[in-house]
Amino acid sequence: MPFIDVNGEQLEVDEDGFLQDPEKWNEDVAKYLAKTEQVEELTEEHWKMVNYLHDYFKKYQIAPMVRKLCKDNGMDLKKVYELFPTGPAKGACKIAGLPKPTGCV
Amino acid sequence: MAIKRPPFNDISKDLKEPMATIEMDDLMDILGIDKKEETPLEPINDKIKNTYDWYLDGHIALGNLYPPKTKEEENELVRKFLSGLEKLLDPKNNWPMLQILKTGLDYCVRCQTCSEACHVYIASGRQEIYRPTYRIEILRKIYKKYFTPEGKLLGSFVGADVDLNWKTIYRLAELVHRCNLCRRCAQRCPVGIDNGYLAREIRVLLSQELGISPTEILEKGSRLQLTVGSSTGLSPMALKDYLEFIEEDTYEKTGVKIKFPINKKGADILLIHNAGEFVSWPENPAAFAILFDAAGISWTMSDEPVGYDSINYGLWNDDIEAARVVLRHAKIGKDLGVKKIVIGECGHATKAFCVVGDRILTGDLGSSEISRESCLPLLWDIYKSGAIKFDPSKNNFPVTLHDPCNMVRNMGIVMPQRNVLNAIAPRWREMHPNGVYNYCCGGGSGFAIMQGLNFPQWRNKVSSRMKINQILNAFKEELDPGIPKYVCAPCSNCKGAIRDFFEHYKCKEKFNLTYGGLVELMVNSMVDMEKPYISWDEY
Repeated sequence: MPFIDVNGEQLEVDEDGFLQDPEKWNEDVAKYLAKTEQVEELTEEHWKMVNYLHDYFKKYQIAPMVRKLCKDNGMDLKKVYELFPTGPAKGACKIAGLPKPTGCV
Repeated sequence: MAIKRPPFNDISKDLKEPMATIEMDDLMDILGIDKKEETPLEPINDKIKNTYDWYLDGHIALGNLYPPKTKEEENELVRKFLSGLEKLLDPKNNWPMLQILKTGLDYCVRCQTCSEACHVYIASGRQEIYRPTYRIEILRKIYKKYFTPEGKLLGSFVGADVDLNWKTIYRLAELVHRCNLCRRCAQRCPVGIDNGYLAREIRVLLSQELGISPTEILEKGSRLQLTVGSSTGLSPMALKDYLEFIEEDTYEKTGVKIKFPINKKGADILLIHNAGEFVSWPENPAAFAILFDAAGISWTMSDEPVGYDSINYGLWNDDIEAARVVLRHAKIGKDLGVKKIVIGECGHATKAFCVVGDRILTGDLGSSEISRESCLPLLWDIYKSGAIKFDPSKNNFPVTLHDPCNMVRNMGIVMPQRNVLNAIAPRWREMHPNGVYNYCCGGGSGFAIMQGLNFPQWRNKVSSRMKINQILNAFKEELDPGIPKYVCAPCSNCKGAIRDFFEHYKCKEKFNLTYGGLVELMVNSMVDMEKPYISWDEY
């Protein structure tokens, strides 16, 4: 498994750069991952979504449905793509420290 | 032009260049898409070159397969491969499939009829290594060398001329993941050899004996399903949150109140969806609920782990995982006391449970008292019952139908979905070829869910190429983006592949194409629905 280096700490990621252990996630990790997903700076709107996703995952061990994440954050899908150009699953969830989606999704 | 004709034994050698190189010029032309406007091919990056054995075709399906570090590890791979092959050839270990395997090993006349039936081979520009026979010829040569007296004695004089080392195994592992297991080749073979099935036998050997399997299929697939409840990671608790949201959202969008029935003992039907539907296409399970309720069907879903996810990825590579999942599904249906277990719109799950299940279930669980069925005939029965009024003019847009290989070619469910479309979709037309002669969506056998490294590029460019061309040809008089068009694909896996290649080929912007299942079209045309059910802006 590959690793990333965030402020001297070695964190395990999968071959596509998704964090393996969500417990290791913090603001600096989010900032690091954001750069790998074409998000140069995390604004307040980004953080709102990222924190929402991280909290949902903590509770349910899965990302929320795309329609739910839009609705709960008062954004349409277009807005989500504006914030996270690589999309809700690959972009936003990755930055929020979630693992890569699995199954037929 | 970069079509190569590598000798079989290249698979075992130290190479400087891959055995096949994918180049735009070689790929099959697609109607309405100029190759110059296509998303360009990404060159193979250094990360891949430095980490993996990339000498098959520069693409990596097995992102978890790192080259061995010691001679001992290398030897262990070879030893396990041979012991796995021995098991496959032993009637005690492989009684269900030995005959298919032996026929393939002993009787191929190398006529290559199968190659011309293969969408991967044709779409690639006829790359030699993608012939359905190429990977099997390698297996045959290994078999000859290690398991036949003449091969042991005479070696290359009798065609036993492929060396077996770790490179052979790794590249063969990649090569069996360049076949969708659609079995169109088997349909055309004049001798009755099933090269698609043989590719699956190699996958079984690799998974069960060497633990070599794409992460998405085994570790994050069947194993996650059996531990958490679903390959999506959806636990029973998360399922509850999902279903409640789908109920609310459906009410807001359509004004129809649905309530998913859970664990209703004694219901007639247990409906099991591919859990990917809840995550990515929630309008599909919602449409089932609307139809079943309107038709007055007595039905339930289950929230037992595995009972709410029909997937059975073992169908693609692992008999043991397949058996475990089939048993769980059958047991959950029996405990609920239902008459029928119906699989939602998912091809591989339908085949795993309805066909493969026959070879696995015994005693009470195998009893014909609980039938195991595809949803497609039931949907036609619902139409025929007259319980629901449909207005076909609500579906006044061009529609074409994709035939999921597992349900259509491999199970023969051809007409129910066509009968429904004839009744509710006045502008639907066939793509060609169709029915049991269809082409795979390119996502079959796990490809739709294998999203790691550069494999999606190979899928979109090569294995899905035939399908996008077929779809565009079906709509060739109406490609104008002013006309919205619908590809009806009653299979979760196919929908995943279609979503990805629609994005890859910019089909929404260029042609105004959307896709979805059959139930959405049915609900869209229900007289009682006040608003259109299909939303054209989202996919």
